Amino acid sequence: MATAVSRHVASARRASRVVQIVAIGLALFWSLAPLYWMLATSFKTELEAARLAPTPWPHAFTSENYRGLFTGELPFLAFFLNTLITCLATAIVAVIIATPAAYALSRARFRLRGTIAYAMLVFRMLPLVVLLAPLYLLLLHAKLLDTHTGLVVGFVTFGLPFAVWMLKSFIDAVPIEIEEAARVDGYTRYQIVRKVVVPLILPGLLTTATFVFMEAWNNLIYPLTFVTTLDKQTLPAALVLTFTGQFKTDWGGMMAAATLTTLPLMIAFFAVQRSMVRGLTSGAVAGA
Amino acid sequence: MTSGRPARPARDAERVPWIDAMVLPSAAVLAIVVGYPVVYTLVLSAQDYNLLGTTPERFVGAGNYRKLLDDTTFWLSLSNTAIYTFGSVAIAALLGLALALLTENVGGKRGRAVRALLLTPWAVPFVVVAFLFRYMYLQNGGAINALLLAGGIIDTPISWLNVSSLALPAVMVANVWTMTPFFFLLLAAALAAIPNEVIESARVDRARGASLIFSIKLPFLRNALLVSSLLMIIANFNDFAKIWAMTQGGPGYSTTTLVVYVYRQAFENFQIGYASAIGVVWLLLLLAFAVAYLRALRMT
Amino acid sequence: MAKISLRGVEKRYDGALVLRDCNLEIADREFMVLVGPSGSGKTTLLRIIAGLEHVSAGDVLFDGARVNDVDVGDRDIAMVFQNYGLYPHMSVYDNMAFGLRRRKLAPSDIDARVRRTARMLDIEPLLGRRPRQLSGGQRQRVALGRAIVRDPAVFLLDEPLSNLDAHLRVQMRAEILKVHRAVTATAVYVTHDQVEALTMGDRIVVMNHGRIHQVGTPGELYDAPVDRFVASFIGTPQMGFVDCRIERDGERIALATQAARIVASDTHRHALAAIDATGVTVGIRPECVTLASENEARDADVAVRGTVQAVEMLGAEQYVHVATDAGALTARVPRSRSVKVDEAVTFVASARDVHLFDRETGRALR
Repeated sequence: MATAVSRHVASARRASRVVQIVAIGLALFWSLAPLYWMLATSFKTELEAARLAPTPWPHAFTSENYRGLFTGELPFLAFFLNTLITCLATAIVAVIIATPAAYALSRARFRLRGTIAYAMLVFRMLPLVVLLAPLYLLLLHAKLLDTHTGLVVGFVTFGLPFAVWMLKSFIDAVPIEIEEAARVDGYTRYQIVRKVVVPLILPGLLTTATFVFMEAWNNLIYPLTFVTTLDKQTLPAALVLTFTGQFKTDWGGMMAAATLTTLPLMIAFFAVQRSMVRGLTSGAVAGA
Repeated sequence: MTSGRPARPARDAERVPWIDAMVLPSAAVLAIVVGYPVVYTLVLSAQDYNLLGTTPERFVGAGNYRKLLDDTTFWLSLSNTAIYTFGSVAIAALLGLALALLTENVGGKRGRAVRALLLTPWAVPFVVVAFLFRYMYLQNGGAINALLLAGGIIDTPISWLNVSSLALPAVMVANVWTMTPFFFLLLAAALAAIPNEVIESARVDRARGASLIFSIKLPFLRNALLVSSLLMIIANFNDFAKIWAMTQGGPGYSTTTLVVYVYRQAFENFQIGYASAIGVVWLLLLLAFAVAYLRALRMT
Repeated sequence: MAKISLRGVEKRYDGALVLRDCNLEIADREFMVLVGPSGSGKTTLLRIIAGLEHVSAGDVLFDGARVNDVDVGDRDIAMVFQNYGLYPHMSVYDNMAFGLRRRKLAPSDIDARVRRTARMLDIEPLLGRRPRQLSGGQRQRVALGRAIVRDPAVFLLDEPLSNLDAHLRVQMRAEILKVHRAVTATAVYVTHDQVEALTMGDRIVVMNHGRIHQVGTPGELYDAPVDRFVASFIGTPQMGFVDCRIERDGERIALATQAARIVASDTHRHALAAIDATGVTVGIRPECVTLASENEARDADVAVRGTVQAVEMLGAEQYVHVATDAGALTARVPRSRSVKVDEAVTFVASARDVHLFDRETGRALR
């Protein structure tokens, strides 16, 4: 009797295991297939990429799409560098400005503290599309349109609240006694932040910087509006603007451009992936 | 770890100068670059302002808002936004939850590899997602049609992005593809944070499988789910890149969400006043939603 | 070395009074212990002396000079935190040198002082390691070393031993006292463990609910507690309390319950004669009480009858917990005497060993 039951249980367990493996397999396929497709297409000739019946892998493997990006009419390298420079600058500037604010919100008690935390959330709700016009005029007056600086200004304001929120949760995790010991040792707040807190939240700083970097890289609407010279454009906007006319069917070239646009984000993402979880969960799970 | 000492009350509420100095730069940046445009937007929303300058701007008070009420495209964009946002978030959250539960007990190197791979869609730039899916949705030469034809699910290739009734769901699929890893990440972490003793005592009580999931694990995930859903809903409202690069809001207005509509009004029709009014309505709607949502969160 | 004075110190958090009217004089080089249950305000008081918290009212003086507005770093104090507060990203050496570096001493000076202190605490071999590589006891020593190396006027210690296991705790108590003797500074030590307080302090401050109940030497607190709280807090096992009626019969005063008869001693008679009350709380320490037969009980000053509730075996002796009709008592009984639960017993004691407390205020009557 017992063996019959245990056999039943064992086969049930095996069945659920099989289901689990199949399900995970499907999930992996769903997640990775499009990326494979992008990569595969980038190595196909223009003709093969536009075939009515698509081929699962490049029958005529070619790297001319990638070469074409750098030797063709469009200044792809310029697009890439523009994006890289502005996003890096944004990440660095945002973190530098956000750290003291996050520290103050974490450690100090002042009446506006709760309001500011909510304000950060409300900020994300703003229809930035609409704010574009006044922002545009602001940059116009400051002669910052069509410049890297102007774009960075835009990116930074967009990413700042989130950076403060994320850094705050990392700073919260530093035990207050360590800072008090430093106060007893006679250090000023600024010195404490520099010498004690910052070294301890270094992974958090990197994670936040990466997040800001990624968000800026994804931003289409700011470059579209603030940058008018194509040479100074960033990748997302350039892709949209140039994908017209003769390029509309060059899917191989488009996918090559897409792959190169994706690469920096992928690298940045996986570099800080584990630390990112900590920053997100401590805030989200405990209640933003 | 610590003795049974009650939680220490918060620090002194004193106005120490260093606090001001630290918050000031952030506050200043935000005040100028956000505060000023917000105020300006409110002002603009009460004006009939054509950016091309053919007619001088004039004050119309609530005129723009009245125009909104009769604007069928506005209402269409509003309903599109609702469907796009809530639909995508709900599906992505459910899928993320399913993935988190599926991979929960896959440990070690294999588990880490699987989880990392499942996260990749999130790292893909939105514009790339848009173009990639646009390529896959092609009527002739698109991968999706090829797969469906090969599987015998359809007879003739469908022009996904050109049929009004199919375009929005198609765009939502791309959105779900890119959003699911976010929920997966958060919920997997929340699952891992459930104290072992709770799971073990549930197993002693012979809870297994579905009942274990629903009655024991889900309550622990509730908070993470709700907060992350709110964040994603708010973010989705601003989702410009994905839609614009895929369909520019077409065919017709079937994929026009609020953000696309506002962009068109502001930068294609140059009706900046009207666009500002829509923006104000958008903000108020979201605020109302968030307040109601948070209150419901706190009550249960 | 410094004399510390607290005058009328009060502290509020969000309107709630956490410390009320605290007055304290700590002598130069004294080892003063602040003891009390959780939430009694002892840590808050320590932090006020440190300068990590500001007073809501009152004054803090070091050597007669008011330091209310003097910043933490300028008060010439050193602090050992309950969770040690070591800098995780620095080595043990750097942890100890950190405070000295700010004072811009010569590196050779700093090195000498760090090594000397490390030798004193037996942690020299650990100087290159990081805090996470150390055991709890080792971290505690490093925290101590960090405080000592600064050569302050005042040492403040906030329950530094409560995270250690019992054996280590006893060992470290002796170490801390040894160090205190060597460095000749004033020390203020916070603990919730009254045994620790009694063994370590020159004088002890007993606190509860933000008030200072009594300040005195261990002997004074033990023999002459000023109120019922101090009497019950100090001493293991706890003092037993019995509520008695006062029977006045001319010159003689007796205290009685259904099951007890206590003849008041001379000193107590004066105190009892002066009050109006009809009843009083009697306190007796377990070691003053012995088991007796009914005959012996008749001649004794103090006799209490009761039923045994529980018996705790402690090796050479037993703690017998007895319930009477008006309170519970504990007695220390030698192992030789066998006592069973639910047994009816009689205790005797001498009138001298009896403490009297006002039933309403809890204050001792002397």
